[in-house]
Amino acid sequence: MIKIANLKISFGDHEVLRGIDLTIEKGQVMVIIGPSGSGKTTLLRSINLLEYPTEGILSIGNSRLDFTPQTKPNATDILAFRRQTGMVFQSYNLFPHRTALQNVMEGQVIVQKKSKAEARIKSMELLRKVGLEDKADSYPHQLSGGQQQRVGIARAMGIDPALLLFDEPTSALDPELVGDVLKVIKELAGEGMTMVIVTHEMKFARDVADQVVFMDNGVIIEQGSPGQVIDRPTHERTRLFLSRLNDSVVQNQKI
Amino acid sequence: MSDRTERLIQIFIDSFLPLLKAGVAFTIPLTLISFAIGFALAFLTALARLSNWKVLNGIARFYVWVIRGTPLLLQLFIIFFGLPSIGIVIDAFPSAVIGFSISVGAYGSEIIRAAILSIGKGQWEAAYSVGMTRSQALRRVILPQAARVSVPPLGNSLISLLKDTSLAAVITMPEMLQKAQQITAVYYEPLLLYSEAGLIYLLFSTVLSNLQRRLEKRFERFSAR
Repeated sequence: MIKIANLKISFGDHEVLRGIDLTIEKGQVMVIIGPSGSGKTTLLRSINLLEYPTEGILSIGNSRLDFTPQTKPNATDILAFRRQTGMVFQSYNLFPHRTALQNVMEGQVIVQKKSKAEARIKSMELLRKVGLEDKADSYPHQLSGGQQQRVGIARAMGIDPALLLFDEPTSALDPELVGDVLKVIKELAGEGMTMVIVTHEMKFARDVADQVVFMDNGVIIEQGSPGQVIDRPTHERTRLFLSRLNDSVVQNQKI
Repeated sequence: MSDRTERLIQIFIDSFLPLLKAGVAFTIPLTLISFAIGFALAFLTALARLSNWKVLNGIARFYVWVIRGTPLLLQLFIIFFGLPSIGIVIDAFPSAVIGFSISVGAYGSEIIRAAILSIGKGQWEAAYSVGMTRSQALRRVILPQAARVSVPPLGNSLISLLKDTSLAAVITMPEMLQKAQQITAVYYEPLLLYSEAGLIYLLFSTVLSNLQRRLEKRFERFSAR
């Protein structure tokens, strides 16, 4: 179980997250939606400690990190926490000097100290899972965006994370490549992987999410099942956001 | 063929081996040793500049500031002619190695620093996200990519250094330029002999250029270009 309590992050004077409380149960898929600048990506990045909270508590399994304006946890604890979470980036961020297979192996060999042979077997299995077994020896620049993102998912899975984080995983993709990536994420959800996903794909959110969280202005406005939040939102701001999203989808389709 | 032409050809042929010898015995080792030490110095200085430790950062800045801001020839003079007056006497060859290494270290550190900074934040984050420490991220993810970026400018530095070793002539090093001077003193054919030395420099630098090109090719396999 992952618990986030009273999480706050400020960049200078600007308070991006203003007290977030969330609990993610094991095996649950949580989708975070909200307008840009709402703090949803910052929240996700803070769970991977790519941003340090100014204040608040993060806990996953037995490890717990306490942040206060005066103190932050030591580097060892932060590293131990981070190693339990995997991250999939909007712009993939694959290692360009390594093949797809090497990308997936890297964390296992360097961080988990697995033997290369062992890491190779596991990595090939993961590449098979994301449908890229035949691209194992390709370098990232030889792959399409959708393929790169699927390697990114395999890489994040490689370190056996207790929690997988997705930061708008399909936003940088051409529309026709989105499906393959979403399919892989859905399969992982089906296998009981615990995930937090920031996305603008409402249809996907409805399909995959156990919990949907709507954020705006650094706080959680409402939270519940997809049916509750996406189909019958109770807050005006949620309704406004969803209707704008719909408008833009309709407009895009007209064009 | 006139006597004059014949004489020039004879001088050219007679001088070629001594000049080449001076090049192989002094210019080349001076270049390679100084570059190796200088490169290590440059790397450490670049890391110091990128570290959050203020003292280290300050030392690195000061070093680069002083070395970049004063002439290389003057630095050689200080090491070879200056230091003996405070009791530090260093032979010509080690003096030259020290001077050139320090120079390569200062300029090279900026190249390496820029190369490291040119690798996007996303690569650091990706490395962290799979659980790497800062030094693992640097070693496994950032440096291999920075290396590729820094090959052309470092190749420049190496070739510059090759030519700059001629400055060691003035601190009594019998390297190629000095050898050319000596032979000129015998035959009074400065145009011919300095041109001949130039030709050998050109030969050496062409080899280095080719080396650089090959290195760049090796890195090409993972780049889109």
